Amino acid sequence: MNDIGEFTLMVALATSLYGTVAYVMAARGNRMDLYRSAGKAPVITWACVMVSSIALWNALFTNDFSLQYVWAYSNIELDYFYKFSSFWGGQKGSLLFWALILTSYMTAVYFQGRPKNLLLVSYAMAVMLAITTFFLFLLNFSTNPFERIPLPPLDGRGLNPMLQNYWMVIHPPTLYLGYIGFTVPFAFAMAALITKNLDDAWIRLTRKWTLIAWFFLCMGNLFGASWAYVELGWGGYWAWDPVENASFMPLIVATAYLHSVMIQEKKDMMKVWNMSLILLTFVMTIFGTFITRSGLIQSVHTFDEATLGYYFLAFLLFIIVLCVVLIIKRLPLLKSKNELDSFLSREASFLLNNLVLLGIGFATFWGTIFPIISEAVRGVKITVGPPFYNQVNVPIGLILLALIGIGPVIAWRRATWSNLKKNFMKPVITASVGAAALFPIVPLSNRSEIYTYIAFILCIFVMSTIIMEFFKGTRARRELHQETAVSALGTLVWRNKRRYGGYIVHVGVVMIFAGIAASQSYGTHVEKHVKIGETIEIGDYMLRYEKLVPIQATSVKTRVVAQLAVEKNGRRIWTARPEKEFYKGQDQPVSEVDVRSTLVSDLYVILADFREDESATLKVYLNPMVSWLWMGGWVIALGTVVCAWPDRLEQRRRLERLKRQQAVFAPAQE
Amino acid sequence: MRFVHFIELLLIAGILIAIGIPLFVKLPKTRPFATINPTKEEYNHLLVRKEEVLLSIRELEIDFKTDKISGEDYENLRRKMEGEAMETLERIDQLERESKKGRKSVTKNFTLA
Repeated sequence: MNDIGEFTLMVALATSLYGTVAYVMAARGNRMDLYRSAGKAPVITWACVMVSSIALWNALFTNDFSLQYVWAYSNIELDYFYKFSSFWGGQKGSLLFWALILTSYMTAVYFQGRPKNLLLVSYAMAVMLAITTFFLFLLNFSTNPFERIPLPPLDGRGLNPMLQNYWMVIHPPTLYLGYIGFTVPFAFAMAALITKNLDDAWIRLTRKWTLIAWFFLCMGNLFGASWAYVELGWGGYWAWDPVENASFMPLIVATAYLHSVMIQEKKDMMKVWNMSLILLTFVMTIFGTFITRSGLIQSVHTFDEATLGYYFLAFLLFIIVLCVVLIIKRLPLLKSKNELDSFLSREASFLLNNLVLLGIGFATFWGTIFPIISEAVRGVKITVGPPFYNQVNVPIGLILLALIGIGPVIAWRRATWSNLKKNFMKPVITASVGAAALFPIVPLSNRSEIYTYIAFILCIFVMSTIIMEFFKGTRARRELHQETAVSALGTLVWRNKRRYGGYIVHVGVVMIFAGIAASQSYGTHVEKHVKIGETIEIGDYMLRYEKLVPIQATSVKTRVVAQLAVEKNGRRIWTARPEKEFYKGQDQPVSEVDVRSTLVSDLYVILADFREDESATLKVYLNPMVSWLWMGGWVIALGTVVCAWPDRLEQRRRLERLKRQQAVFAPAQE
Repeated sequence: MRFVHFIELLLIAGILIAIGIPLFVKLPKTRPFATINPTKEEYNHLLVRKEEVLLSIRELEIDFKTDKISGEDYENLRRKMEGEAMETLERIDQLERESKKGRKSVTKNFTLA
């Protein structure tokens, strides 16, 4: 099976290379034979990469330690669940996984675009095949997952214990689906630039793909934060680690794009800006891959054998140069025909939102690359830690939060001060009442707490504007159509999926802001060395240390579990069981925290150390409102589903358009 | 020959056949991509613009009903957007007429020939 896997990887490379060339030649020469022949390449490449992937999974499941990759990231005792995820646990496997997702996206786009028979689709396929070729080249000639060991050992080295967590099974695929998903809008944007087809056809073709990629990237970031929270055992979920930043930056740029593209659709303007944003999003995903695989930065996320830096750097520079040259060459065609009606309009607020988002993106980028630049220029590595990011990004983030509330209240095209006053009145009064109610409750002793207080007020403001939007829309429908409130609300959302789905996403974002603000400022923690029977007090909770139990879980894993009775107001409400896990052959034990999560706060318990007399050092954190982050994620998921749900009216409009085009110019072209 | 090599050979043969058939069989003499016709491109663009302007008018009505814009602004913007929609529709009609005329002359020439 390994031979077949290695062979199909080579065949996939040859096929993708052929497909790239054939698609370009077919498009340039308008040749049906080449077009039909090239059309086979995406599916064949996908099938070959799939066979390679099955071969690697097979080797992992059957403990085939003749493969260096299986030896390095698996062992006999490893749970099947983690054997499955070992596939993307190391650099080689993760690159193969990248190729698998990329070719899957490409095949889906191929089947979606095939009936349209468009020149744009052909060039987009060529771009995607070219990117696939790059990854397959690396897999074949630089980092082959099917590399053999001449004398296969009896057992493997095993998967890094920190990666043996269920979030690691979910987080990387989700993040990859997001990262790689942006290849689709990038490919169509490049195709639009190449073919000079620069109206919004490429935007309409990729609208759903962009939304899907954005959703997965957003959820991937949140799942990563969840993993860090429960597995890294430092009480937090985000540390502004360079690799975390690398997945955060494309998300920020893509969010800016998702907003500004609406202006292009509505007003046929900002073409250069939108084009640049989507190209930048893709560049950021490759930059993230470069950071993880170059060995330039040390992080829990980087790969052990990070040796692909130069390849990715070259690829990155090539893409940047190509994008810049193409945009400059097509500038005359990208000029807007319309302009803003007023600076007091939703379009203008979207523009401001874009600038703020890019501000956050740039600050994060600068903080990420500054240590690299400083080391290259002065030979001194300066660490840029959370204080820098918090100092810069928190105030900008607050402006962004305010804009989330301001946007829906301002009308498209032109708003007036008198209407703004009228519309802002209720949300501002609600926020003021909230501010007055919170003032005596929340501490305001330092800058962080003041920021949190402002964030809470803004969250109330934004929530009230969104609720007002739903309320006013429902009321207007009820008056017009004599519907019940529930039916009017349902129809309102259903008929305006993008608008109201977007508002639901905003609700999720507000919840995340609230969760971050509260947990960053009002968290407390206690660290104490206790003997059996002794207690630790934190907030309203009292934790009584009951016992320490060693458990031989498997032949390679020993668990040492501390048991603590958690009491609130004298009543036992929970039993905490934080533990340390010791893996054979691994120097460092792994902490498994125990968390009791409620809407108000998380009680987060870590077994930091223990001694032979069964005394233990315990760290207990009380993190307010962390669960709001995860709930916010699910609300975002719901909003995205509403936004992306197929719109029957839109489909009908598209079909009518095609019919009309056919009647006037046969054969029809989208 | 090892079984694996046999499978590899089969795979290569299968792929070469799949990719090669379109290159060697006789295909109908159609072109996959219509030559870029600026009129058609403009027509397609205008159809989309027409929909977007009509949707914007609907949104403007929602904004007016939910008190986001004043009556005066609503009237002005509505008039402006309707003007934009009319211009687009007129241009669409003009392009349709030109296209029909073009077709007729082609058919006429063909019949005469």
